[in-house]
Amino acid sequence: MTGAWTKAFAALLAAAIVMPVLAVAPLAFSEQSFLVLPPRTWSLRWWSVFFADASWLRALLTSLEVAALSCLLSVAAGTSAALGLQALGPRARALATGLFLGPMVAPVIVLAVGLYALARSFGLVGSTLGLVLAHTMLALPYVVLNVGVSVAALDPRLALAASGLGAGPGRVFRTVTWPAILPGVMGGGVFAFVTSFDEVVLAVFLAGPSVKTLPVRIWEEVRTEYTPVVAVAATIMIILAVIGSAMGRFATRRSA
Amino acid sequence: MNALRRQRITRVAVAALLLAPAMAIIGLGFVAPLLRLAVLSVSAPAGPLAAYRELATVDVYRIVLRNTVVLALVVSAASLAIGFALALALTRLEAGWRAAVFACVVLPLWISVLVRTFSWMLILESNGPLNRFLVALGIVDHPLPLLFAFPGVAIGMVHVLLPYAVLPIYAALSRIDPALLRASDGLGASRATTFRRVLLPLSARGLATAATFTFLLSLGFFVTPALLGGPSDTTISMLIDSFVNERLDWPLAAAASMALLAMGLAVIGLAGRFVPVSALSEVR
Repeated sequence: MTGAWTKAFAALLAAAIVMPVLAVAPLAFSEQSFLVLPPRTWSLRWWSVFFADASWLRALLTSLEVAALSCLLSVAAGTSAALGLQALGPRARALATGLFLGPMVAPVIVLAVGLYALARSFGLVGSTLGLVLAHTMLALPYVVLNVGVSVAALDPRLALAASGLGAGPGRVFRTVTWPAILPGVMGGGVFAFVTSFDEVVLAVFLAGPSVKTLPVRIWEEVRTEYTPVVAVAATIMIILAVIGSAMGRFATRRSA
Repeated sequence: MNALRRQRITRVAVAALLLAPAMAIIGLGFVAPLLRLAVLSVSAPAGPLAAYRELATVDVYRIVLRNTVVLALVVSAASLAIGFALALALTRLEAGWRAAVFACVVLPLWISVLVRTFSWMLILESNGPLNRFLVALGIVDHPLPLLFAFPGVAIGMVHVLLPYAVLPIYAALSRIDPALLRASDGLGASRATTFRRVLLPLSARGLATAATFTFLLSLGFFVTPALLGGPSDTTISMLIDSFVNERLDWPLAAAASMALLAMGLAVIGLAGRFVPVSALSEVR
């Protein structure tokens, strides 16, 4: 009896958690020009509007570009850092790790305003570079921690054995360390990509007329008057996020 | 001896080289902006502490500060209560069910807060599905003012924070030996007593972690209150935004940022001894 109640309660809460997230998707397929749930008539007209509008398309491409670049940068720097942390003494490691985790706990508005103030003096507001650097900083902790887990799980005796058998440092890295940490690197990379792709506050402050990410466009629309095109944009973001979560799960399962 | 020392020096050099790119990114993208704000906050024309004094004395700002803390307390408490119930249910479900519910709990973490908040705008509208449902059931006569009001902000924030509450509490609860619960039951304790004397103390660490995460995160919320709240639901984050974009008052924006940062650091400082803040990353 308790089992049935527990199931009912859990199912109800799970639905209450997931349904509001997905509620926007049906509206992307609505015929009407106003957003009322549930839509009465269905069509793909707002998808054609989205893909016919240069500004929406450019925003999507900017988002993908910024996310890909900051993913690459944060994976390279974060993987290197995770390996470097391992070589430090315990106190230095704790200190450096604390610093790397900073962007994860600092209020995002504070980071946004600080970066905006700094970017203004360097003329980086409204540039892809400024956005990429900001998102790289934001994604870095996820990469450092994800790769760090793989590095910590790696038995140091394997590398010792490899070099004892005559492998040089480069060969040890290529044949022992890299394959072992690859799942952590992939998982961190997925987190980094999605972190940048989803991010809105830093992007709103650092965006300019010619460089706007998809979330920035959505933000601008939602704060004024919006049409179901916004629902299409939001649905595209949900689809990409769900693909990301599936890839993330795949990567972490392989590491487990 | 000499060889050993040389080896150590090489190791430190390699570590420094490996850490350098990430340190540069954190230095430029995290430390430098915060230092810039610290300098800006004491650069008001009326004197170094003028911006802080204005924040502390003007009634509107004090109300916003109080609202932010009250909102953070309310949504943290609600997230903890719902999170505990859900975590407890998770420990009692069979494996297949548990995996499915778990997937539902973590799915939102992958989706942009902006998209989730936009969804809530549509649901909470006065002629939205939630209000139509409540009216149809006869629970209320007229649609409730949920959107652009406190209930909307609270609902939206609890929805975002819930995974940060469920996961640490679940981790703590799943470590409790079920034999202890059976023993408590067998020794004649009521359910309430078992809850109070066994479940609660043994999951205290998870609860403390969840409380820290939710409170810390809720202090700095921006997107959700900005889109779901009304004028009286302004948070510090929104105030900082308006200082920068509407009043163009950088010292005031910087001082408010420093205040918000100090509040967060105080939470971490108080809780840090009991709660590993790095565990925040394990949520996603």
